[in-house]
Amino acid sequence: EEHERYFNVEQVRLLDRFSSKSTSGTLYLTATHLIFVESSPSSPSSVLHHHIASVEKLSLTTTGCPLVIQCRNFRVVHFVLQRERDCHDIYSSLLRLLRPVAYEELYAFSYNPKQNDQQREEGWQLIDLGAEYERMGVPCDQWQLTDVNRDFKVCETYPRDLYVPITANKPIIVGSSKFRSKGRFPVLTYFYQEKKAAVCRCSQPLSGFSARCLEDESMLQAISKANHNSRFVYVMDTRPKLNALANRAAGKGYENEDNYSNIRFQFVGIENIHVMRASLQKLLEVIGNRSLSMSDYLMGIEGCGWLRHVKAVVDAAIFLTKAVTVEGASVLVHCSDGWDRTAQVCSLGALLMDPYYRTIKGFMVLIEKDWISFGHKFADRCDQLDGDPKEVSPVFTQFLECVWQLTEQFPQAFEFSEWFLLQIHEHVHSCQYGNFLGNNQRQREELQLREKTHSLWAFLMEEQQNYQNPFYSSVYGKTHPVLEPSTLPYHFKFWRNMYHQFDRSMHPRQSILKTIHTLKETSLKSAQTLRALENPGAAATLPDQRQPRPPAPQLPHPGEEATESTDTDRTVEGSSGTDSRKQSYGELEGSYEDGDEMTKEEPAVVSLEFGMARMTC
Amino acid sequence: RSDRSAQTKPPSAMSSDSVSTSAELSPDDDVTMTSCWSHLLTAKEVMYICPFRGPLRGTVNVTNYRLFFRCMDQEPVFVLDLPLGVVSRVEKIGGASSRGDVSYGLVCKDMRNLRFAHKQSEDALKKSIFEVLMKYAFPVSNGLPIFAFEYGQVFPENGWKVYDAIAEYKRQGIPNESWRVTKANDHYELCDTYPSSLAVPVNIPDEDIRRVAAFRAKGRIPVLSWIHPESQATVTRCSQPMVGVNGKRSKEDEKYLQAIMDANAQSHKLFIFDARPSVNAAANKMKGGGYESEDAYQNAELVFLDIHNIHVMRESLRKLKEVVYPNIEEPHWLSNLESTHWLEHIKLIMAGALRIADKVESGKTSVVVHCSDGWDRTAQLTSLSMLMLDGFYRTTRGFQVLLEKEWLSFGHRFQLRIGHGDKNHTDADRSPVFVQFIDCVWQMTRQFPAAFEFNENFLVTMLDHLYSGLFGTFLCNSEQQRVKEELPKRSMSLWSFINSQLEDFSNPLYVNYSNHVLFPVVSLRHLELWVGYYVRWNPRMRPQEPVHQRYKELLARRAELQRRVEELQREVTNRSASSSSERAGSPTRSITPVQTFV
Repeated sequence: EEHERYFNVEQVRLLDRFSSKSTSGTLYLTATHLIFVESSPSSPSSVLHHHIASVEKLSLTTTGCPLVIQCRNFRVVHFVLQRERDCHDIYSSLLRLLRPVAYEELYAFSYNPKQNDQQREEGWQLIDLGAEYERMGVPCDQWQLTDVNRDFKVCETYPRDLYVPITANKPIIVGSSKFRSKGRFPVLTYFYQEKKAAVCRCSQPLSGFSARCLEDESMLQAISKANHNSRFVYVMDTRPKLNALANRAAGKGYENEDNYSNIRFQFVGIENIHVMRASLQKLLEVIGNRSLSMSDYLMGIEGCGWLRHVKAVVDAAIFLTKAVTVEGASVLVHCSDGWDRTAQVCSLGALLMDPYYRTIKGFMVLIEKDWISFGHKFADRCDQLDGDPKEVSPVFTQFLECVWQLTEQFPQAFEFSEWFLLQIHEHVHSCQYGNFLGNNQRQREELQLREKTHSLWAFLMEEQQNYQNPFYSSVYGKTHPVLEPSTLPYHFKFWRNMYHQFDRSMHPRQSILKTIHTLKETSLKSAQTLRALENPGAAATLPDQRQPRPPAPQLPHPGEEATESTDTDRTVEGSSGTDSRKQSYGELEGSYEDGDEMTKEEPAVVSLEFGMARMTC
Repeated sequence: RSDRSAQTKPPSAMSSDSVSTSAELSPDDDVTMTSCWSHLLTAKEVMYICPFRGPLRGTVNVTNYRLFFRCMDQEPVFVLDLPLGVVSRVEKIGGASSRGDVSYGLVCKDMRNLRFAHKQSEDALKKSIFEVLMKYAFPVSNGLPIFAFEYGQVFPENGWKVYDAIAEYKRQGIPNESWRVTKANDHYELCDTYPSSLAVPVNIPDEDIRRVAAFRAKGRIPVLSWIHPESQATVTRCSQPMVGVNGKRSKEDEKYLQAIMDANAQSHKLFIFDARPSVNAAANKMKGGGYESEDAYQNAELVFLDIHNIHVMRESLRKLKEVVYPNIEEPHWLSNLESTHWLEHIKLIMAGALRIADKVESGKTSVVVHCSDGWDRTAQLTSLSMLMLDGFYRTTRGFQVLLEKEWLSFGHRFQLRIGHGDKNHTDADRSPVFVQFIDCVWQMTRQFPAAFEFNENFLVTMLDHLYSGLFGTFLCNSEQQRVKEELPKRSMSLWSFINSQLEDFSNPLYVNYSNHVLFPVVSLRHLELWVGYYVRWNPRMRPQEPVHQRYKELLARRAELQRRVEELQREVTNRSASSSSERAGSPTRSITPVQTFV
C-alpha cells in the first residue's frame, strides 16, 4: 500500500504451472515488487524484485503475450498479458529493476517495519557471538581471544574477534595467514567441551608442490597441543582429491602429512560450487516438467545427483562429528577458500554435536557464526547485485536442505519446523533484512547495516511460535546430545515444500502446523476467558493481555474449534470451493486423460501456510 | 512350555529381529505356561546368519506359533521372534559343505529372508528343525490346525462384534425409499462369496436379482457399498458381466443398472469404473467375461482405470523385496525403485479411487465399480474411495468396519492371496493386494496427518497379523467359510487385541474431521515408498528415536489438557450462571460460556 507505483496492466492472466488453471487480475509494478491482484476478491500475491532470477518473454500466442518469471525461491510465475506493448514495458522495467548495482538500492535500505531506532538496535543485539563462545566454554586455559584481526588487517573476510590456541602467538598467526588462501588461517569455530576437542576452520594452504610454512605447521601443532585427549589433529579437506591436486598447480593445494608431524589428513569429496549449481538446475528442470511419469521423476531425481551431493555434505559432517565426539580429536576443516563447503561441514557438524543449535535461537546463532561472520559470500552466491554468474551457487540452500533431511530423520530433536528453514531461505534472497547483505563483516560494517537496516533474527524470534515443531521434545537433547544420522539413500528425500513451495497444487493437503496453531489459540482464549471471569468486575471486559500466560499447551484437545467448523457442513478438502466446482470438475477430466496428476485447487487450510503468507508481503 | 511373554500379552510380530534387553529375557525364561503354546523343539549352537550383524550363534526354540532365536553373546541380547505364519518357504541351501555346515533359509511373506546354519555333526538335530518347520509353518498342508484356533488369550473386548452389517447399513440410512436389504443371499445361495445381507435397489424383486446373478461372474451382482448422505449418489460394486465374444446381453442386468441410476435423482448418468486396463477387459471376453457396452447400458459411461492384475502386483512386490532386502544398492536406489513399478501401481490405484470419490461427491453421480471377479481391485477402489468420502471410516473402529465390510464380507480371498499355512509358495493365487491397499491408506495418512484416528503402528500391526496366524480375522476366503468354520467361536479377532490397547495405535494429531471429504493428491511428487514397512528390517533404517513413545506422551498430555479444559468449562458455566443470576436481567443467554468473551 505504501509502494511507489510505477504503472499497472489490467486483464492479466496468471497461469498455474501444473494445471490448465488460470486467474485473471491486474498487475502492478512498484519500485520493489511486482504485485498481482486477482479480480475476484482474494489476497494479492506479489514478487519481490530481488527474488527474480530471470524474466523471459515468450513468443506471442493467440491468447496474449506470455511473460515467465523465475525466482530464487523456486517460484515460477507465468503471466499472459493481452498487449505485446505492456508485456515489453514490464519486461524491460523488470530487467532494469532486478539488477541493482549498489547495495543502497537493495530493499533492506527502504524496508520500514515501523520500528523505532531502539527496537531496531535491540533486534541487532539479539545474537551475540561473544556470548556464544562463552557458552561453549571459550576462552579457557587452552583457547584465547585474539585481536590480531581487530582492523581486518590479517584477514579481511574474517570477523574481528577470533579464537586461537593460547600457544599461537601473533607471529605464528600472521605467518600462517600468509600461507593460507585469502589469509584465512586456522581459527576455532566450535569447542566440544566434554572432550576439550576443537573444530577449527581455514582455507587451503599455499603449498603448491613443495612449499612449507613453519608458522602454519606451528599453528597446527598448537591446535593439537590444546587438546590433551588426542595426539593428532584431523585435517579434513572437504574437496574431492582430484580438485585439490589441480589446485597444487596454482600454488595452492593441501597439507603434506610429512611436514605436519601430528595430523591425519582426509579428503571427503564434496563437489564445488559449479557442480552444485548445475545439479540444482537439472533438478529444477526435472521437477518443472508438467507431464512427468513416475519413471521420469525417479530417474530424473537420481540423474541430477542433487540428493547425492546433499548426502556427501551430511557424510562429511558425520565424519567430523565422530572424530570429535567419539575419538575426542580436534579437527581442522577446509576446502579451497574455506567459506562454502567448510561452512557447510562445520555448521552441520555442530548441529549434530550440540542440541543448542537445534533450537530456534541456537540455529540463528549457528548461521550467524559459521556463515555470516566467517564470510560466506552471500552477496556473490545469492547474486544480490549484478555480479558474476559463475559466483552464484546454492551452497546455503544446500545446507538448509541438509538440515531439513535431518529434521525428517529426527522428528523430536529440532525445536523448529521446516517453515523456519523456508523462511530463512526466503530472506537470504529477499534482501529485506540486513543480515545477509554483502560478503563479509568488514563490508557490512562499511554499509552501516546495523544503523540502516533491520535484523531478520528479531523478526523471526517475534514470530517463533509459528516455526515451532510440535514434535520437539526438549528432553531429547539431553538423552541424545549427539545425533547419528543414517545415510542410507532413502533417507534423502526430495524436499517438496522447498522446491514446490509456490506451486499450490503440489502442497500437502493438510497442515499439521495450522491445526495445532488454531488449537493452541482456542486453548489460550479459554484460559483468558476463565481469568476474566475470575477477576470480579472485569467479566464484561476483554482479558488483560499482560497477565502472565499459562504455559502454552502444545497439543490441546481439538474440541471446540474443530468440531465447530467441521461437524456442521460437509467439507471437501483438496478440491475447489463451491463456486468453481464445475470448472475444476471439467479440469479433472482432462488431467486424467494424459495420466497426469490431479490438478485441484488448494483447500483453504493449506493456502496460508506459516511463513508463506508473510513472504509475499 | 513356552516363553513367558505370551502370558502377559500377545507376542507382537513386529518385534521380530529386534534387540530386546537382557533384563526382559533371562536365559531361563522358558517357564511353563498356558496350554495353547506347545513347545516343539530347542536347539543350541544354531547360527543365525544375520545380513546386517553377521553370523550370530544362539539357541532356537520352536513352538507351534513361532520360532524364537536368542543370541546371548551380544549386548544387549539379540532376539529374533518369528511367527511361523510369516514363513512362505523353507529351503535347504546347498548340501553339506566341506566345513560340515548345512544351512537353510526361510523366505518370509513380510519382506525378509532368514538364514540359519548348523554343524553337520548335529545331523539328527538339524533334520528335526527342518522337519518341524516344514510341518508347523504349513499346518494347512499338513492337516494341522492354524494356530489361531489354539490361541486362548482373552481380551477385555470382543472384536468380532465390531462389525454388524445391518447396523452399518443403518448408519448409512439404508433401507430407504430407494434401497432395501435383501435376504436373497441369506444362505449364500445367490452368491457364495458375498455376505448374507445385501443392499439392492428397492424396485428389483429377488427373482430378477437371481437372473442378474447369472449374468455376473461368480454371481457377484451389483450391490450397494456406500451412499452419499446428501445427494444419495452411491458406490456399488460387482464383478464383470458375462458378455463373452458374442456380446451377450441381459435385460435384467440392464434394468438393474438403470435402477441404480434412478435411485439417485441428482444425476441422469451412471459411471461404470472397470478397474482393469481395457486390453485385459477385452481379453476377458474370450473367457466369457468382458465389460458393459455403452449401447446396451443407456446413460452409462464406462471408464477403464488401467490397474494391473494380481500377477503383475505380485511380481512388482517381489522386485521391491529384491531392491530393499537385505541391502540397498546406494548409487542406484531410485532407478532400482523405479524398475519395480510399485509406486506407479500405487498411483494408479489412488487415482482410480479419487476419480470414483470425485464422481460421487462432486458429480453427485452414482458409480458401479468392478474388475474381473470384483474381489481384488474392486475392494481396493471401493474401500479407498469410501475412506475419502466418509470420515467414519477414518476412525479406528470405522476402519475396522470398512475392512470387515469391503474386504472380509465381500470375499477378498485372504486365504488364497496370503496362503495361510500353505506350503505351496508358488501358488499363482497369492498376491499382495491387501498390502497394496494398506500402502495407499498410509499414503493418505501422510497427506492428511490430522484426519485419521489411527497411526502408522496400527497399519503395520495389521499387516503383521495378516500373516502371523495368531488371529482369526484374516482367515478363510469368504463370509460363508468363516461362518462354517465358526471363527468367532474358535478364534480371536485382531480387533479384540487392537481395541484393548488403543493408546498404542492412536494418532495424537487426530482432529475429528468427520464431515470432511479428503481428496489426496496423487501426484508422484507426493507418493513415497513406505520405508517404515518395507525396509524396517534394516537396523540402519529403524527410526532413530521411538516416535511411538512421543505419540503416547502427546496423547497423555492431550488427555490431561482435555480434562483441564472441561474443568475450566464447568467452572465458567457455574460462574456465568451465578453472574447472570446476579444480573437478573439476562437469564436467557444461552451461548456457550467459553465463547462469550472472545
